[in-house]
Amino acid sequence: MEGEEDVLETSMIEEEIRANGGAANEKQRSKAIISSEQMDVEAYASSYTGRTKIARLIFIAERCGNTTMELEALRMAYDEIKKGENTLLFRDVVDKIRGRLGAAYGMDHAWVDGVDRRAEARKEKLDNELNAYRTNLIKESIRMGYNDFGEFYYAHGALGDAFKNYARTRDYCTTSKHIIQMCLNVILVSIEMGQFTHVTNYVSKTEQTPEVLDSVTVAKLRCAAGLAYLENKKYKHAARKFLETGLELENNYTEVIAPQDVATYGGLCALASFDRTELKNKVIDNVNFRKFLELVPEVREIINDFYSSRYASCLEYLENLKANLLLDIHLYDHVETLYSEIRHKALIQYTHPFLSVDLHMMASAFKTSVAGLEKELEALITENQIQARIDSHNKILYARHADQRNTTFQRALQMGNEFDRDVRAMLLRANLLKHEFNNRQSRKL
Amino acid sequence: MDFSPLNEALVSKSYDKIAEILDELMLQAATDGVPYQDEWPYSIHLLGHIIANDINSARFLWKSIPGGVKESRPEVAAVWRIGQQLWLRDYAAVHEAVRGFDWSAELRDLVVAFSELYTKRIFLLLLSAYSTISIGDTARFLGMTEEDATNYTQRQGWIVDPASGMLTVTKQPVVKEQKLDSSKLQRLTEYVFHLEH
Amino acid sequence: MESAESLIAHIQGLSSAPEDLAQLHNLLKQSEESLESLAPNLGPLLNQLDPSKHSLGFLYILEAYASATHGEQENNLVSTIAKFIDSCVTEQICLAPEKFVSVCRKLKDEAMQLQMPIRGVAPLRTAVRKLQPTSEHLTTLHPDFLVLCLLAKCYKAGFSVLEDDIVEVEQPRDFFLYCYYGGMICIGLKRFRKAMELLYYVITSPMSSMNAIAIESYKKYILVSLINNGQFSNLPKYTSSVFSRNQKNFCQYYNELATSYASGKISELQSCLEAYKDKFETDNNVGLVKQVVSSLYKRNIQRLTQMYLTLSLQDIANTVQLSSTKEAEMHVLQMIQDGEIFATINQKDGMVSFHEDPEQYKSCEMIEHIDSSIQRIMALSKKLTTMDEQVSSDPIYLAKLGRERQRFDLDDFDTVPQKFHM
Repeated sequence: MEGEEDVLETSMIEEEIRANGGAANEKQRSKAIISSEQMDVEAYASSYTGRTKIARLIFIAERCGNTTMELEALRMAYDEIKKGENTLLFRDVVDKIRGRLGAAYGMDHAWVDGVDRRAEARKEKLDNELNAYRTNLIKESIRMGYNDFGEFYYAHGALGDAFKNYARTRDYCTTSKHIIQMCLNVILVSIEMGQFTHVTNYVSKTEQTPEVLDSVTVAKLRCAAGLAYLENKKYKHAARKFLETGLELENNYTEVIAPQDVATYGGLCALASFDRTELKNKVIDNVNFRKFLELVPEVREIINDFYSSRYASCLEYLENLKANLLLDIHLYDHVETLYSEIRHKALIQYTHPFLSVDLHMMASAFKTSVAGLEKELEALITENQIQARIDSHNKILYARHADQRNTTFQRALQMGNEFDRDVRAMLLRANLLKHEFNNRQSRKL
Repeated sequence: MDFSPLNEALVSKSYDKIAEILDELMLQAATDGVPYQDEWPYSIHLLGHIIANDINSARFLWKSIPGGVKESRPEVAAVWRIGQQLWLRDYAAVHEAVRGFDWSAELRDLVVAFSELYTKRIFLLLLSAYSTISIGDTARFLGMTEEDATNYTQRQGWIVDPASGMLTVTKQPVVKEQKLDSSKLQRLTEYVFHLEH
Repeated sequence: MESAESLIAHIQGLSSAPEDLAQLHNLLKQSEESLESLAPNLGPLLNQLDPSKHSLGFLYILEAYASATHGEQENNLVSTIAKFIDSCVTEQICLAPEKFVSVCRKLKDEAMQLQMPIRGVAPLRTAVRKLQPTSEHLTTLHPDFLVLCLLAKCYKAGFSVLEDDIVEVEQPRDFFLYCYYGGMICIGLKRFRKAMELLYYVITSPMSSMNAIAIESYKKYILVSLINNGQFSNLPKYTSSVFSRNQKNFCQYYNELATSYASGKISELQSCLEAYKDKFETDNNVGLVKQVVSSLYKRNIQRLTQMYLTLSLQDIANTVQLSSTKEAEMHVLQMIQDGEIFATINQKDGMVSFHEDPEQYKSCEMIEHIDSSIQRIMALSKKLTTMDEQVSSDPIYLAKLGRERQRFDLDDFDTVPQKFHM
């Protein structure tokens, strides 16, 4: 009897889901999932510029566990570094290549010496200029001087010095625009350094300026804040920030983040931390964010599948995406946590509308064995995330409705016992103190 | 020594009081410096604790019995064997320990009383703990032959499935009389009134 | 100084009216030295007195005599003291409690010397009752009595005094020993909740330096909490800082045991036991540690009842690491017997069904239980308020509070819950 109801209920939910726009994606769903293929490093790298591009390539090289990909990433990193002035990073990458890419990708001493020599000269020049400005006490020039120093150090990879000089311009800022520029610079360097508390601080400093921020800056700040929350494992906050990121971001912040990252980071964090209503209101019905999602159809599909209770497909997409996500410099450390949270959410959501659930059906929906599913459910029931009990004999999960009245009685009696014990202990302690105190007093007399 | 309270309890079959009576008599004898240990009715004393379902006390009493007494009086050790099986929760071995000794005349009634009590206790346990149970296990738990066990439980409404050799346990609704002192209810009402106002 | 004979005459004459007793008491105090010098020959004098009438005088002479005598010389000493304790008049001996205590201790020492601790059990039980102004008072004889009970294996006799709720304590040492020995008696009788309560008093008492009783109590407390509650929560914040800071130096392996228990894995618990086997042996806690292990099986089965309506015996055996379904069945059966879970075993299918606690909080017994709990708590609450008032109006305390505000931990008096007053 109950079994029949389940089937009925499931199919009703399916209907509702289709009405929610699930059907529109039918075509895409039947298509093979492309992201299961190996990462196209070149295409990936082309979304970024500057230091993060190099850092991301080196990160991929270190983690991909595949020589071809490793060398491709290092080759691109080498080429990219040569466009700049960071000889430290250059030496590092040459070491990593270990001659495996032939003479063209070896140690270019002439280039290194040239860059270093020019850097020395430039530094001297900047030094002299700054000193001159400081003697003349021209605020704006001093700010420029420090700013130049910041840029100089940043280009050469001395992030600590870059941070200091950028931060120092603060005392010489005369307009809100200057402050915003200073903050963005500091945020950029801090992200590179992995100092996310600075990121959070400077994001809020920027937001406190009286100036009305332009939409691109706002989008950048949302991303920076999102990254900081992600790093601190505050996934719900991170999701909110990425979801609020405006489309104006486009390719304006490629030195930090690409628009498709906003989709991926935001989408996964939202899945892991939002409840069903939030997911619908803030993600699926979010016109702005949907545009981001168009950039990463896999993530869009994951979200749609999740919301439409197509868990098998959702989990499959996730699984396929995993290898590449583990190569992402910001996300890699959170993949496991986010994935297990998403799976938990899915399990909870699956059981939620039912009085009873057939474990065989549920196991196949989650691509696992019944025994494995029982273990997962055990954990969720223990944490009180699912209020149900497993009938392991008939392989059915039954919703459990605790008797409020009995629980109240039980708790009251337990509280009474604890109170009893605590008060007795208190009386005894007080008595001991009193007597010890009296003894001490009488000894004194 | 005056054992009259013990004898009274034995005569009136108030077996559950035996342990307490003997505990006190023993303390008194010890205090008076009477060398009681050689003559002490340890078997009855141990069995008294066992009947009162106080295996901890039976165990401590056993531990306090002098080694000489344990050796020279096999019946004392035999009583303790019952206690030991209870302590180990070896349900079937309790019955074996009961049957495994030729009890003296003065102990026989007590042992029989214990055995009946224990069988009843275990039956109630089976009643609450099983929905189906094999005839073999039932017989071992109750210390009976399979035939006796089948008859015994059938009288209590259990149903035999000869094919599987299983018994289906039939629970009887327990009816308890609910009688409440009205003053208690009055007081509870006052608490609620107090808390609500 | 009086002669022994005239002293006896005084005792016989001045043992009834209270004014007379005061006079007699003075006389006795003045005669202490002479009694001491006559001590070995005082035995026969006792025969001239009736302990149930001339208790105070008898006590003085008995005390002098007893302190100079050993059991080997006088075989009847134990019996004499025992009879005196039994028949003496409470009001009289309470005039000289230290003498009474001394005599009782002598009895205890003699019983131990004779290797018959049981001889002292009944007399000391009586002595404790006579010395106590109310059942809430702890006497200095409590620990002596409990130690005799432990040695004589008369746990039940010992438990009879533990059922009182002690509130009035004077000497921390007496109290600590009372709780520690009492805890051991409760452990022997498997009254784990009461054992926890007593041990808890020791470890949360105010302490100015570490002491061995507290350390041993803490070790047992951890084990008993695991056995009884299946968990060990950290010490409350009012634990003296001396203790919470230093316990690690002495009890670290017990903390580790609790951690491995919390993992729920028998294997982890076993390897912890193996690692510290010798230490548990030295601490005399092997028996308790074994019970900790079997409680983990129970705990794990109990956990399953929270998650399953039905589960096969095979799955139970696998999950809680038991070697066979039969073993799993026996564990479940024992837990049903002890009321630790609500379940029925289905042998035919090899399944167990778990049920909710059938208690509906509707029966008369339950209503009476609730009512008595409320009564008890209200009485406690009242007592707490009275004490709070007493302390906060005690001039010496207030003077001290003014002088050295920081030295007293106000938490000990604060946070008095008011909600149970009527």
